[in-house]
Amino acid sequence: MMEDSCDDEDFYDGGGDDDSDPDSVVISYDGLMDHDSDDFDDLNSSNLIYYHRSQNYAILNEDDIRQHQEESITQISTVLSISRVAASILLRQYNWSVSKVNDEWFADEEKVRKTVGLLENDTPLPADQELTCGICFENYPRDRMRAVACGHPFCVVCWKGYIGTSINDGPGCLMLHCPDPSCGAAVGHDMVNELASKDDKEKYNRYFLRSFIEDNRKTKWCPAPGCDYAVNFTVGGGNYDVTCHCSFSFCWNCVEEAHRPVDCGTVSKWIMKNSAESENMNWILANSKPCPKCKRPIEKNQGCMHITCTPPCKFEFCWLCLGAWSEHGERTGGFYACNRYEVAKQEGVYDEAEKRREMAKNSLERYTHYYERWATNQSSRQRAIENLHQMQTVHLEKLSDKQRQPESQLKFIIEAWQQIVECRRVLKWTYAYGFYLNEHEHAKKQFFEYLQGEAESGLERLHQCAEKEFQGYLNSEGPSLEFNEFRTKLAGLTSVTKNYFENLVRALENGLSDVDSHAACGRAGSSHNVGGSSGKGRGGKAKGSTSRSSSSKNMDDSGHWSCEYCTYANVRSSTVCEMCQRHR
Amino acid sequence: MASSNLPRRIIKETQRLLSEPAPGISASPAEENMRYFNVMILGPAQSPYEGGVFKLELFLPEEYPMAPPKVRFLTKIYHPNIDKLGRICLDILKDKWSPALQIRTVLLSIQALLSAPNPDDPLSEDVAKHWKANESEAVETAKEWTRLYATGE
Ligand SMILES: [Zn+2]
Ligand SMILES: [Zn+2]
Ligand SMILES: [Zn+2]
Ligand SMILES: [Zn+2]
Ligand SMILES: [Zn+2]
Ligand SMILES: [Zn+2]
Ligand SMILES: [Zn+2]
Repeated sequence: MMEDSCDDEDFYDGGGDDDSDPDSVVISYDGLMDHDSDDFDDLNSSNLIYYHRSQNYAILNEDDIRQHQEESITQISTVLSISRVAASILLRQYNWSVSKVNDEWFADEEKVRKTVGLLENDTPLPADQELTCGICFENYPRDRMRAVACGHPFCVVCWKGYIGTSINDGPGCLMLHCPDPSCGAAVGHDMVNELASKDDKEKYNRYFLRSFIEDNRKTKWCPAPGCDYAVNFTVGGGNYDVTCHCSFSFCWNCVEEAHRPVDCGTVSKWIMKNSAESENMNWILANSKPCPKCKRPIEKNQGCMHITCTPPCKFEFCWLCLGAWSEHGERTGGFYACNRYEVAKQEGVYDEAEKRREMAKNSLERYTHYYERWATNQSSRQRAIENLHQMQTVHLEKLSDKQRQPESQLKFIIEAWQQIVECRRVLKWTYAYGFYLNEHEHAKKQFFEYLQGEAESGLERLHQCAEKEFQGYLNSEGPSLEFNEFRTKLAGLTSVTKNYFENLVRALENGLSDVDSHAACGRAGSSHNVGGSSGKGRGGKAKGSTSRSSSSKNMDDSGHWSCEYCTYANVRSSTVCEMCQRHR
Repeated sequence: MASSNLPRRIIKETQRLLSEPAPGISASPAEENMRYFNVMILGPAQSPYEGGVFKLELFLPEEYPMAPPKVRFLTKIYHPNIDKLGRICLDILKDKWSPALQIRTVLLSIQALLSAPNPDDPLSEDVAKHWKANESEAVETAKEWTRLYATGE
């Protein structure tokens, strides 16, 4: 069954299997493309993590960084016929861009030399037997003196102090010059190696390594706390999501946690919104007032102005004027039209205040709605990450024992959890997106909420199956007859959910531009990217377009029919999709 | 005089400052602390500070000469690169310091700063603003302050 799964592979990463390149999969694990396993595994693993169509970055560890750095130095040193020390000084000056160094050097070598303090000829120390140090003013024999290319003599002790002070001042030590204030001659790695203390040398080397990442426009450190990996990014393709070997995903552009399909601007607005403490103050302003009698905060949760404080106080008062309700009788113009309110209304005082409170309340309720869902998905994702880890370290082995299944046959569970983790992330960010979606663009809003709802309910089913149903098989006495059904169901849900999220991500990345063509279809047939026709079968690489040929698995040799919406392979006899309950 | 553990460099610098003072500048170490100098700079000719005598204090920290000396005006002065507390915005007193510089070069640089105020790199925002908006008026204020605070007692 589902032998056309290799179409999916082609579709996603432009060809072939990729187990030779661990970077091509977000969370790499062994045997991803294990062709000996059954077809189901193959289908799901080949396109499990959908957002990684092309790899435009590489993760570097410290050795990789040093190697890259050494290579750049070798390149410049060879092409410009200069020492490695001089080459590093040049590269450091031009932010480790080999091409920039080449360009500048060949455009105006003299100017470049002057800028960085690389003298063309070495001036030897003065010939005298004894020389005076320009810092401590002491006289020393010639062999106790040092100078860089300029020949300005300073004693070894002063050099050590000079270099040590500079290293302890920070990364500026990488641009050190001769102490003579009128001289710009560069002090290179060689002087540091000879004269700095062991600790200082280490610091210097660390700055040197860091400079390669931090001053280079193509590289950044992974922002995860305690992570020492760096990322080398090749711009292009518009997808900024990067996943480090430490498993942290982040946005290359804004270095926030990965937030595809939501753009960096929305994310930064949202994060600022969340941190704005004033929202809490607004909530008080909008919803509660202190009881005039007992001073406890009382919430207004209905339309009328007659408020009764909670027991034991039970004081009845007017929300508008905070006066006792008992006084709101005939004298004040009746119960439901507090005259003071009316008076104030005429004067335009209370009216304004109340109006502002109402507005604040509405915007706050709206924000709370999105924030709550954003935050809940965040914590749910956190739990899923823990579950995934537990699965990999403990449960899978146990399950393999219980169900007498080789662990290689249980990968579908790991894949399900990986999908959950990823989907929680996407879903979370769609709530930030939703918050900023223009309320007046009704069609877009509806379309968005529809896609989001589909994705969310799919995810809930998947999450529940992976969490709750799984427990039954883990804790069963012995192998369960239904285990294969569980496998089919969970793998199916994984694939269904993946599809929903693909739709959602794609739609948001297109700015919901499909909304017009979509609106005509109505709710039931709304999967805008169903490649339903058999004309788009295998080989139809609709890369970049909104239609996905891989969804078009209709009837295959084994007699399953593939759901048009979610691609689930249903048995021939059923007329309703087992996964998404849509009619065939 | 507790000069026993004073680096040779400081002793030599002090001797030279006393024996061959720079024109318009005097610097003498305090009796009780050889790292602390009482400094006087004469307002340079053709500057708004002409005719004034400006008192400063200069201190050589433990790390000197690896770290720059600390210098501060004690006399009130109206200058865009000098703030109310007398602190001075001068590159060689900060990141452009080099151990091959000396007390003498520092004081000469401060003297030069009096001749050429630089409102584009201000320490005192208000004064700098004044300087840029109406230079002749600002110069008048500087002259006034010089007369008020930097002459006589
Ligand atoms: Zn020396
Ligand atoms: Zn030099
Ligand atoms: Zn990392
Ligand atoms: Zn971003
Ligand atoms: Zn009460
Ligand atoms: Zn009332
Ligand atoms: Zn379906």
